[in-house]
Amino acid sequence: MTADQRVPLVAMHGITKRFGAIEALVDVDLHVHAHEVVALVGDNGAGKSTLAKMISGVLQPDAGMIEIGGEEVALPSPQAAHALGVATVFQDLALCDNLDVTANLYLGRELRSRFARDDGRMEESARRVLRELKSRIPSARTPLRNLSAGQRQAVAIARTLIGNPRIIVLDEPTGALSVAHTAEVLTHVQRLRDLGLGVILISHNMNDVRAVADRIEVLRHGRNNGTFDAATASYEDVLAAITGAVPLGRRTSSRHIAG
Amino acid sequence: MTTDLNTVPAMPPGERARVPLSQRLQGLGGNTRQYGIFGALVVIILLFQVLTDGKLLLANNVASLFQQNAYVMILAIGMVMVIVAGHIDLSVGSVVAFVGGVVAVSIRDLDVPWVLAILIGLALGALVGAWQGFWIAYVGIPAFIVTLGGMLLFRGLALVIVGETVAGLPASFISISKGSLPNALGFVSNADVVTLLVGTLAFVGLLVSQLRARRSLRKHNLHMEASGLFVAKLVLVAAGIAILTVILSFSAGGTPIVLVLVGVLVVVYSFVMGRTVFGRHVYAIGGNRAAATLSGVNTRKVDFWIFVNIGVLAAVAAVVTTARAGAAIAAAGQNYELDAIAACFIGGAAVTGGVGRVAGAIVGALIMGVLNMGLSIMAVDPAWQMAIKGLVLLLAVAFDLINKRRAGS
Repeated sequence: MTADQRVPLVAMHGITKRFGAIEALVDVDLHVHAHEVVALVGDNGAGKSTLAKMISGVLQPDAGMIEIGGEEVALPSPQAAHALGVATVFQDLALCDNLDVTANLYLGRELRSRFARDDGRMEESARRVLRELKSRIPSARTPLRNLSAGQRQAVAIARTLIGNPRIIVLDEPTGALSVAHTAEVLTHVQRLRDLGLGVILISHNMNDVRAVADRIEVLRHGRNNGTFDAATASYEDVLAAITGAVPLGRRTSSRHIAG
Repeated sequence: MTTDLNTVPAMPPGERARVPLSQRLQGLGGNTRQYGIFGALVVIILLFQVLTDGKLLLANNVASLFQQNAYVMILAIGMVMVIVAGHIDLSVGSVVAFVGGVVAVSIRDLDVPWVLAILIGLALGALVGAWQGFWIAYVGIPAFIVTLGGMLLFRGLALVIVGETVAGLPASFISISKGSLPNALGFVSNADVVTLLVGTLAFVGLLVSQLRARRSLRKHNLHMEASGLFVAKLVLVAAGIAILTVILSFSAGGTPIVLVLVGVLVVVYSFVMGRTVFGRHVYAIGGNRAAATLSGVNTRKVDFWIFVNIGVLAAVAAVVTTARAGAAIAAAGQNYELDAIAACFIGGAAVTGGVGRVAGAIVGALIMGVLNMGLSIMAVDPAWQMAIKGLVLLLAVAFDLINKRRAGS
C-alpha cells in the first residue's frame, strides 16, 4: 500500500514456522522502513510474537528469507540480531530492580576502561539517551525499584537505543500499564520514529495502534490478513481482518473480540 | 493525539543547582543503610567500652579482635558475593577443616615448605569451589543442597585426613595469624612506627581513590555529592583510621599480619564488586536472573566463578585458622559458615539476593567480633553470649526489613 520505493530496513519474505504439527506462521511477508511504525496486530495465537522473535533472533524460520538493509541475513541468536541493529523490548521486561537506570541500560554490554567498568561514560550516554526520549526519569542513578511502571517501560525502550540500533521491536509495550503510563510510552514510540528508526509494535490495543502506527499489518492464523494505512483505516475493517469476520456480519464476529 | 510532546527532559545539563531537595535526600537515603550499620558498630564499641571500664579498646585487645575474627571477615567477603547472587554456601566451615588438614599434613608429614603448602591449599580451595560451582551453575542444583552436601562431604574428608590433631607446625607459618609486621622502624614514645606508616598509607590510598572517582565524575559532567559532605566523610574516615592506627601502634606487636591480609582483600573485593563488569553481573543475577540472561549476561559462568572464589577464600581462612591454632584438627571451622552468613545479613545483605556490600559484611563481622570480645571481658557465661548474639542477628535483620518497608511504601 505504501508508495515507498526505498529499500526497507527489514523485509521478511515467505516466513514459515512450525512447532510440531502446529503451523505458527505460513508464508508471511513483512517490511518496515526507516521513520516508520508498523503495528503488528492479531488475535491471541495469530503468530505476532513468533514473527517478532524471528527478527530478534530468538527463533529461526523454517522457510523464508529475512533481509536487513537489503541484504539477506541469518539471525541465529539475539546477539547476532543486535549486532545487525535489531533491538527488542520483550513482553516480560528484562530489567533488574536492584540496579540503577544506567546499569540496566548497559546490562550485558557494559563499557570498560582499562581495569574496570567505565561508569562515567555509561552514565553520560545514558543521560543522552534519556534526553533523546524526553523521558521523565528523575536521574540515571535512580534504582529501578523506585520507578513507576511507565518509567520502567521507558527504561526498557531507552535500553534498545544503546548501541545505535536501526530497528526496534516492541512486544506489547503497554500491556500492563495505566492510561497515563500508556500515553507516556506511546510518546516514546513516536520519538523512536522521529529518531529515524524503524519500529515494529505488537499490540492488542487498537487505540494504541491507531495513535502511533503508520501502517497496520494484520495476522490471522499465522497468515497475512490485510494491510491498512493507520490514518485512514476504519476500526471495523481492521477488527474484521483480525477476527476473520465479514465487515458487516457483526453477529459472527462478536464472539472473537473478547480477547 | 496522545500527550504533549514537551514533557520534562530527563536531566537538563548543568543540573546541579536544579536537583530538587527531595531528590537529594533520596540519593542520600540510598546510603543510609550503609551509614546505619557503621553507626551501629560505633554505638556497640562505645557501649562495651563503658561496660568493660575501658578494657575493650586496650591496644592488645584491639589487635586480638582482628586476629580472632580475621577468618569471619575473609569468609564474609566470599559469602556476601554468594548471597548477593541469590545463593548460599553452607560448606565453608567444612572446607576450612579439609583444606587446613591438607596444608598441615603437607607441611608436617610430607615436608612440603609451608609457602608451597599454602599454594596447594589455595589450589585445593579453588578445586572444591569448582566442584560445587559445577553442580550449581551447570547442572542447576540449588546451592543450598549442593553446599549442604559439601558440608558433609568435606567434613568427612577432613576426618579422613586429620585422624588426630596435626600439631608441630613451623613458627613462621604460625606467625601468619599470631604475628605482626616487624617493628623495623623503631618506636616513637612506645608507638610502633611501622603501624603509624601503614595507617597513613591506608588513608592516603583512600584519599587518592576518592579524589580520582570525583575527578572522573567531573570529567563526564555528572552529579557529585556536595564538597562539604565529601570533606566531612573523609574527615570522619580519617579520624577512624587514625584512632585505630594509634591504638594498634601501642599494642604488643604493632600491626597484626592478618589485618594487612584482610585489608588487602577488602580493597580488592570492594573493587571487584563495585567497579568491574563481573561485580555488576553478580548484582544483576541476584536482582533478576531471567533479565540478566535475556540481556546477554552469562549467568552460569558468573555463578561458577562465584563459587570458585569462595572456595579460594575458604582456603585462605583455612590457612589463617590453622596458623592461629598452631595445628589442624578435624573439628576446625565448626559453624564458620553461620558466622559468615550472620556477618553478611547484619551488614545489610538481602536474603532475597541482589543487595549487599563487602564493606557491610566486614562491619557485620566486626559487630559480632566486638560483641564476642566485650561479653568475654565482662565474663558473661558463653551460653548467654550465644543467646545474645542470636538476638542481635534477629534484631539487625528486623530493623533492616522495617526500614526497607518504610522506604518502599
